[in-house]
Amino acid sequence: MSDTEQKSKKITSMNNGFIVLPFKLPSFDVLQSKRSCYHYIFAKKHDSNNENEQNCLFIMNLPLLTNLESIKSITSQICEKYDTVSHIENLMYNDEFGLNEVDLSVLTSDLMAESQDKIEKRFTPRNTALVKFIDKSSLSNCLNALKKYSTSSKSDLLEWKYNTPSIETFINFYKPLDIDYLKEDVHTHLSLFEQREQQAQDDVQSSIVDEDGFTLVVGKNTKNLNSIRKKILNRNPLLKNDSEGVSKPTTAVDKKAKQDFYRFQVRERKKQEINQLLSKFKEDQERIKVMKEKRKFNPYKNSL
Amino acid sequence: MVPTKRDISQVEEVDTDGQIVSNQKKTFRKNEHMQEKPLESNDDDDDDDEEGEEEEVTHKSKNVSGSTAAYDIHVARETAELFQSNIFKLQIDELVGQVKLNEKHVLKVEKFLHRFYDLVQQIPDWEEKTISETLSYFKGKPVSIPFVDPKPAVTATNYKFNYKAPEVSLIGSFALKTGIYQPQGSSIDVLLTMPKELFEKKDFLNLRCLHKRSVYLAYFTYHLTNLLARDKLDDFLTVEYSYLHDDPLLPILTLKCQPGEDHKHELNFHKTKFSINLIIGFPYKIFESKKLLPNKNCIRIAKEDNDTPLEATSLYNYSVLSASAYEPYLKYLYKCKKETEAFREASILGRLWLQQRGFSSKISQSGSLGGFGTFEFSTLMTVLLNGGGENGNKILLHGFSSYQLFKGVIKYLATMDLCTEGHLQFHSDITYAAAVSKYVQEGFQTPTIFDKSTKINILSKLSVSNYNILKFYAKETLAMLNDVVQDRFANIFLTNINRSDQLKYDLCYDLKFPTNGSAESDLISKFTATERIKYITIENFLVHKVISVIKYALNDRIANLEVQLVGHRSNFAVNKRKPLVVMSPGSHFNFDHIRIKLLINQEESEKLITKGPLHSEQASQAAVLFKSFWGPKSSLRRFKNGSINHCCLWTTSSSEPVISSIIPFIIKRHLSEGINIDNTITKQFQDLLPLSNLAASSKTSVLNMTSFFNVKKSFDDLYKIIFRMKLPLSVKSILPVDTSFRYTSLCQPVPFAYSDPKFFQNIILEFETSQKWPDEITSLEKAKTAFLLKIEEQLASEHGTKYKSFFARDESIPFNLDVTTLNILTPEGYGFKFRILTERDEVLYLRAISNARKEATPALENTFLEFTSAYLASIRHTRTIENISHSYQFYSPVVRLFKKWLDCHLLMGHLKDELIELIAMKPFTDHYPYSIPGSVENGFLKILKFIAQWNWKDEPLILDLVKPDAAYEDQMEVSIGGSEINSETMKKLSEKLTLAQYKAIQSNFRNLRKDDPNGIHLQFFVASKNDPSGILYSSNIPLAIATRLTALAKVAINLIQTHGLNSQTIDLLFAPGLKDYDFVVHLKVPNRLKISSGIITQSEFKNLTNIDAPSSFPTDLNELSQKMDPTYQLVKYLNMKYKNTMIFSSHKYIGVNGGTHGNENVITGLIKPLYKKQMKFKVNMDCNAKPVDAESVVLNKESIYHEIAAFSSDLIVKFDLD
Repeated sequence: MSDTEQKSKKITSMNNGFIVLPFKLPSFDVLQSKRSCYHYIFAKKHDSNNENEQNCLFIMNLPLLTNLESIKSITSQICEKYDTVSHIENLMYNDEFGLNEVDLSVLTSDLMAESQDKIEKRFTPRNTALVKFIDKSSLSNCLNALKKYSTSSKSDLLEWKYNTPSIETFINFYKPLDIDYLKEDVHTHLSLFEQREQQAQDDVQSSIVDEDGFTLVVGKNTKNLNSIRKKILNRNPLLKNDSEGVSKPTTAVDKKAKQDFYRFQVRERKKQEINQLLSKFKEDQERIKVMKEKRKFNPYKNSL
Repeated sequence: MVPTKRDISQVEEVDTDGQIVSNQKKTFRKNEHMQEKPLESNDDDDDDDEEGEEEEVTHKSKNVSGSTAAYDIHVARETAELFQSNIFKLQIDELVGQVKLNEKHVLKVEKFLHRFYDLVQQIPDWEEKTISETLSYFKGKPVSIPFVDPKPAVTATNYKFNYKAPEVSLIGSFALKTGIYQPQGSSIDVLLTMPKELFEKKDFLNLRCLHKRSVYLAYFTYHLTNLLARDKLDDFLTVEYSYLHDDPLLPILTLKCQPGEDHKHELNFHKTKFSINLIIGFPYKIFESKKLLPNKNCIRIAKEDNDTPLEATSLYNYSVLSASAYEPYLKYLYKCKKETEAFREASILGRLWLQQRGFSSKISQSGSLGGFGTFEFSTLMTVLLNGGGENGNKILLHGFSSYQLFKGVIKYLATMDLCTEGHLQFHSDITYAAAVSKYVQEGFQTPTIFDKSTKINILSKLSVSNYNILKFYAKETLAMLNDVVQDRFANIFLTNINRSDQLKYDLCYDLKFPTNGSAESDLISKFTATERIKYITIENFLVHKVISVIKYALNDRIANLEVQLVGHRSNFAVNKRKPLVVMSPGSHFNFDHIRIKLLINQEESEKLITKGPLHSEQASQAAVLFKSFWGPKSSLRRFKNGSINHCCLWTTSSSEPVISSIIPFIIKRHLSEGINIDNTITKQFQDLLPLSNLAASSKTSVLNMTSFFNVKKSFDDLYKIIFRMKLPLSVKSILPVDTSFRYTSLCQPVPFAYSDPKFFQNIILEFETSQKWPDEITSLEKAKTAFLLKIEEQLASEHGTKYKSFFARDESIPFNLDVTTLNILTPEGYGFKFRILTERDEVLYLRAISNARKEATPALENTFLEFTSAYLASIRHTRTIENISHSYQFYSPVVRLFKKWLDCHLLMGHLKDELIELIAMKPFTDHYPYSIPGSVENGFLKILKFIAQWNWKDEPLILDLVKPDAAYEDQMEVSIGGSEINSETMKKLSEKLTLAQYKAIQSNFRNLRKDDPNGIHLQFFVASKNDPSGILYSSNIPLAIATRLTALAKVAINLIQTHGLNSQTIDLLFAPGLKDYDFVVHLKVPNRLKISSGIITQSEFKNLTNIDAPSSFPTDLNELSQKMDPTYQLVKYLNMKYKNTMIFSSHKYIGVNGGTHGNENVITGLIKPLYKKQMKFKVNMDCNAKPVDAESVVLNKESIYHEIAAFSSDLIVKFDLD
């Protein structure tokens, strides 16, 4: 273990440009480990065309329950150490428990989306986040400080302070929701929704072209464009497992037509029957072969 | 079939030649036309066999050269007609091939038999000896005379004993060539017929002929051992006396080979595992058979009054008569075999079928499942080939396939009554031309297949209770054979259900005799001379007594019973007179203890009252019997309809079935006070179920559903209130979808026990259809909440004094963070969690799938499945399980125990209740070849057995969720000769899975496995009519958890198999294996949650604990959370955080498994194998890593442990690292 410890000390950055930032961890009585442990955060300057994501630091592997406050405090500590200043504006996309990986609302309708053109949410991998700085200089100051910090010796490493939840935190999950808050929330949300829906309906264009090139006529009461388009595309993932219900309804002509009128029909049918019988027979033989290989025919198997 | 003259002559030739006369081989040459000739002609045999093979070969080669397809078509067609299905026929072929006797082994043992024949010829004749001369002859010799009890008195015995050379012949299945390979070895029956001149006319009386035979056997044994020693064969050959078929009247000599240095000796047949039974028979028709009819007395004893006739000695008579009829039956069967091509195969099927169910030819009067073995099966088949209908019409035809023959016999056994209403008679005399067998409508109250030629009832050895069991299995098997949907082959022929009493029977009781012998002397005094001539041995008498007492006492509480003498011995050394009994000191019985095994009748078993006959002024005979039988237990009670009956009142208990209190009472009353009745297993298992903190819960039967009914009642009241509410949309349905409504919750519902994780029962509320639901999911949920707010408002204003309610966030649907539920607390103390289902939900979830980017699709499909299972399928599931569990009384306690077991092993958190319930349903709805579980332990063990043997990679679990088929009862009525129309219509009406549905599900499974051949993503495919997709409840289980479940079940079954069931093994079954995990975190919560979960311990004082038990809801509903389990949330969030790298498990029911007070829990962690190795540093690797070099990282375990410690800081007490 000490070997790896030795090695890991030397690693200040990864090949793909990530700076390695070790932090000492507080000790816990229950863990009884004598050696000090470290947590490693990986950071890199974030390049993006997205306006929202300018002046950002891409960081990986934030410790437990990290929030904006804890990030601010640790960066200021580091910056202070290397005599520089840096201001953090926001911690973005930090979704520690994966609660917001998927935004169902956006996927079901564009009505409630924050901006109309951004249909899908920005996706960052789990266990990563963006730290947004106020300006470019803040970012570069911080980055420089972090680079220095990553090369500092063991004894100079800072200790990370966890935000630890109390029992109350867990018990609170069981607590009733505040009714007045809930009422207010429902009310505001639904009125916003209605407003936007009205807006959307007014904007509706009357023509959409479907797969076959026909123009769909949309009535006034139709909820919105989305719903129709999606209805065409929708396929139940469970349906693919349902082999029933695919058969075509028989038409009157089918019913009338006799199946054994011509000789060839009878002959064909017999032939088909025999072929079916034969293929099933072969299939069964194969199955038996497989079962035999698995020693399925031993009546004296020695288990309960 | 009437034999032609030529046939007869042939058979007669068999008769004379079917003996071992090896030096007369020339004479046998004559008989080369006979393929299946008894033993000595092995040369000829070979020729014949080879010829046969050659024929076949040419036959085949012709086909090969001609058209294979045409031949295949021919076979395929034929089998489709003659067998149930092609696959069934192919399976039979394989099976028969598997159990074929090894030709080399047969040759080897035949070689020995030739030598043996020579040896027998060398035994010198003897001269007539008196009893005292005989006794002195054997004095000091290493061989004793195996006299049957009572041995002849020297003074009163005036007949002579003698030995003259016997006629030697082969009999039994080896002679018939219907024997099969058996791993424990097969036996070859050699008949030594005593010459006629040794007998007098009256020798059948008073055991005389049996004594003569015993001396004959001893003399034979003595000389045989000498000859063996002379030829140096005794190095590997051992001889031993034993009772053939456990019949104490029929001592025989068995020859076995020992391994040893002489292994290479050419005559050592040890490897063949054969043993040779030397049976001494009487000459055919030596005694007047009429005098030995089953109702005649042939053992005269002194009696005080001579007016009443002596009891019939049917067992004795049978033993004497059958000893003279071995050969006629061999001929009878042989002739039939020659005429019926599939005879051999069918009798092999019959043999296997019987073996797998524990039946044999042993006499059932001395316990166990005897009385019906291969001989009886083959004979019945032969009888049915010669008639068997009421007019002597043939039930089976010679051209039938083995499948048809087998099914015909099974059907006959299942549908025809051979005991109370009628019997079957036949003529074994093959020379008798008009011999047709007939079913006669006259029952003898004992199973009867009567041979008019020999006057033998070949079912003499079969007791009534065993006959009922046989019939029961025949019915079950017939139902399986009639099943066109599922392949039942393995259940019929391959599964041995006789390996474990706990799986085969519902309840087992051991009767143990104390070492001081007090109980024995009690019983010995009851065994009078009259009893002795009837039952022969005290063991038989005891078996009879136990059976009759239990049958009367339990009556319709049980469906079937078997009594077994455990440790019964029937073999003994040749220097002993009878089996040595050294089981327990002071014991005089030839067994260790008696085991009573019961299959219970679920509907009646737990009833409180044993209702006896009507009370009348003049006590009726039945009333007198009832009173004297029950003694102080019997009392008079007036019933609702005004009648007054004699009855007995019993009390139920949560730890034991009512039967457990009846059996000790009657056994002590009618057998002996001193007997100990032992059944700790049932009690231990039932006590494992959490005992509810309800009034009289320890006196409540496990089958009692009152606690569940109370929840339903409370719900019904609430239902009415909500249904009447005036809301913007009217209520269409309010459907409960949770465990209490289908009787499957681990803890019974207890009022105000809100620490129980299942306290709030999910309810689905649906409104009438509306177009106005928002077309966006968040808004839709908000709109639903608006409706719930309206309901809450009205409930508060109109019923606020009684009902309390609050809102909670619901996270059951991943990514849908806006679901709120309305939780209502009823005045009765129960909680319901309402959620709304609209017709828009499904559309929106599906739309999300189609809109999502590719990487997110699986997550969204999972969301959709979660939604479907929680909102849609749960309704059907609850309805179905609730509905059918009424017919499977033990389903509820069994599934609850199974859940407890899962939670003990920390698996409950990973498996959905619905999945668990479906798996637990398997032994009930698909119970073949066993019966439907009738006790907690039986059901539970069957579940474990199923899981242990379920190869989920290749096999789907397809459940037919229907009540036990009344349909097959109806099919039963369509007995032989009846119309088939009824059964056809029955099939149409039944709700069972049709073949098409079954096939559709199978193809779903195949499709699934095409993408996921090893079951990495989905292991348990569990489908039913409710969910043909099979993936609804099992789609989110980590592979490690699935394999752990299988492994745990395997370990459990292994443990039971090697160590049996006892209190230690049961404790082990429920002990979590914490060492298997990478680390274990021990937690303690500040509040004790056991009593507030509604659970008490049996030993606890009710009144003391009840003080702690909440009896109302707190006024401030925020306080509810104080008594809820924080560890559940902790584990949930840990699993969410480390979803990619680790699996955390914990006890979900802290009240049940959280120590004595319900305040302890553990969290175990498993690191996924992928993350135990070094890996490449990637942006999307999603794990807490530390760098190893500039490119690779490893999992930073220490850091994770720190995070866990930090996360659970207030709860953690100990952190165990591997």
